[in-house]
Amino acid sequence: MRVIASYSMKGGVGKTATSVNLAYWAAKSGSKTLLIDLDPQGASSYYFRVRPSTKKWAKRFFKAYENLVTHIKASDFENLDVIPAHLSFRNFDSLLAGFKKRKNRLRRVLKGFDKEYDLVILDCPPSISHLSESIFIASDVLLVPVIPTTLSERTFEQLMIFFKENDYPQNKIVPFFSMVQNQKSLHKETMRAMSARYKIFLKTTIPYSSDIEKMGIHKAPVDVFAKSKQANHAYRQLWEEVSKIE
Amino acid sequence: MNSLPVITWELSETVQHADIFSGLSSEFEIEIKPAISSTLRFYDDFDAHLWQANYLLCNADKQKFQLIAHSGCIDTVSAPGDARFWWEFRESEVKAKLQKLIGLRAILLVASLRLLETDFSLRNSDQKIVVKGRLTQSMGGDQPTCYCTLRALRGYSKFHTRAAQILEPLIKAKIKDFGLKCLLEAQDLEVFKSKQGNSVLLLTVAMQAEPAVRSIALAMLDQAERHVRGVIADTDTEFLHQFRVNVRKLRSLISLLKKTLPTTLIDTLKPKLSLIAGKTNKLRDLDVLILAHESYRTMLPANFESGLNKLYGLIEKQRKQEKNKVARYLSSKDYKATIASCAAEFSLNSVFETAMASKSIARVVKKLILKRYHKMLAMCQGISCQSPDENIHALRIEFKKLRYLIEFFVDLLPKKRIVKIVGEIKKIQTILGDYNDYGVQIGILNGYVDDALVDMSNSLSGLIAILHQKKIEKRSKVESAIADFFTENMTNEFNLVFGIRKTKGLG
Repeated sequence: MRVIASYSMKGGVGKTATSVNLAYWAAKSGSKTLLIDLDPQGASSYYFRVRPSTKKWAKRFFKAYENLVTHIKASDFENLDVIPAHLSFRNFDSLLAGFKKRKNRLRRVLKGFDKEYDLVILDCPPSISHLSESIFIASDVLLVPVIPTTLSERTFEQLMIFFKENDYPQNKIVPFFSMVQNQKSLHKETMRAMSARYKIFLKTTIPYSSDIEKMGIHKAPVDVFAKSKQANHAYRQLWEEVSKIE
Repeated sequence: MNSLPVITWELSETVQHADIFSGLSSEFEIEIKPAISSTLRFYDDFDAHLWQANYLLCNADKQKFQLIAHSGCIDTVSAPGDARFWWEFRESEVKAKLQKLIGLRAILLVASLRLLETDFSLRNSDQKIVVKGRLTQSMGGDQPTCYCTLRALRGYSKFHTRAAQILEPLIKAKIKDFGLKCLLEAQDLEVFKSKQGNSVLLLTVAMQAEPAVRSIALAMLDQAERHVRGVIADTDTEFLHQFRVNVRKLRSLISLLKKTLPTTLIDTLKPKLSLIAGKTNKLRDLDVLILAHESYRTMLPANFESGLNKLYGLIEKQRKQEKNKVARYLSSKDYKATIASCAAEFSLNSVFETAMASKSIARVVKKLILKRYHKMLAMCQGISCQSPDENIHALRIEFKKLRYLIEFFVDLLPKKRIVKIVGEIKKIQTILGDYNDYGVQIGILNGYVDDALVDMSNSLSGLIAILHQKKIEKRSKVESAIADFFTENMTNEFNLVFGIRKTKGLG
């Protein structure tokens, strides 16, 4: 089982759209996939029309795998299940702070899914916190959407430094350009410079697209309502590239 | 992981698809996909070996065969549309399973199924799919049968329960293990019913010997007759083999239990059955040679291949002629009249001409089995490494009769102990049979030696020499198999199961 986290400490970069579409394509390609929505806003759960539990259960989240299992819900798509977020997930950091060996907690609970799923995708909240560090340890690939702008570049640099300083394996970090507007020279220049500096960027870029924004209206991955659009091809290509990462 | 309910119901005859959807639409939004129609053709051998082993071999188009187990399709393989034997399939799980399960049998088209499948989803008020379903219309039999399957989705089981409640008034029956096998079962096809043994006979311990033997004889005759069409059509070599086995068993039955039948019946039927068996001897010998072709080819060095090919050219030609001869005979009025007269004789009411005829069949049989065992025990004491092949052959025939006798009346005997005894008999029969086969093959091959055909005769000499060597090697196994079988334990077991006497075995 692989764990892929869609992560950035910056908000609004396309983490949720990436999680949802990647999970969709992974499942469609035959991988038994579980999407875990760790962001208390619950956007990816919403995109899959999965309602969160009515009960607060964040406290039990890191206790045991069995607690997570009861919250799994089938999506509308074959091979794809979802654990929806709950508003109480906003307390994850304070909860983790109270645990011993907190960094390994997430990794330990996810291990239980090994027999049932080929892939777990984590849709992460924008922060750098105890939860983030758990995610860094639990995931095999940290997929980082980067908008080719100065601020995003700075955030990405901060992440690389954080990994270096805290001795996390930097090779887990797999960035790609997101919400790209090729008509903007700033985007083009930033992409050129960052690609030259960091040789780890994926080839696939996700365009800025109103079709991605429309996911909220359709409550579905892009392929369901915009099959022939560029954004859809981009996500499919992104999955193909990510699935080949060793 | 908890398994989620998937329930299938057969729908009442009057229920239409619209009734299903109208019922469900009261609480769910329904999304219906276009119906998909397909025609599936199913293949099996004459004995339905695949079916008995819970496999289905099916093809939806001419070139692709799918092997389906209970868990679903386990392999798909391309093969010529007219492929009939396992060796005509390319290396695959399909080929391996066919080899294991049907052996020399040909696969035959045994059933076809026309399906119309309509998938649908039920959405809740959030527009989320909460139940998935399928309507299946099977048009295999005289009239279509409709089924509805509802599959629960993880986290949404309560909707599944509710949908099932809504459908309840439209349901005829709940179906266990719904699938292609179940759809075929619903057609009640004769082809999948057991053709083996005398399972239709209801023998009882108290039954009198003559009527019991008459019923078994009729069943044997029927079994032999079932294979005639396959012999005439030359579907596979097993049809002739099984035809002969059943005729042989029938001849053994009336010979072994002759004291339970009227003398006139024996005198009338014995020559008739002997004639029938005799008519097929040559064809069976040729079949055995053809089946051994590959094994013979591997025995000989490559430079003997042209001689072997000549031999097989001749054998194939002879087989074709002989097959036509046998087919003509089995289609003839003579043969049909002979079989009809045999059946008529066996069907007559019992006359209880002999004292044994009215005794309990179980007692008669047990006594005969025990007597035969002790006869064999005495025979084997005279067998040594110097004994001629005839003595081994005679013992082999006795084993055959002993096994037939047990198997005819297996329902009247203690099952567990009999299974063990028959297992031991089969073991020794295999060894004795292999030994005998080498001798028979050498004899047949010798008949083909022709000085005018040097190439062919060289190959024949090579084969005969190898088979002779193999026969010599087998001889020591024969002797140890005899010693292993006739132990004190075995004698005690026979005494215990079939009588009360205690005698010493070899051991």
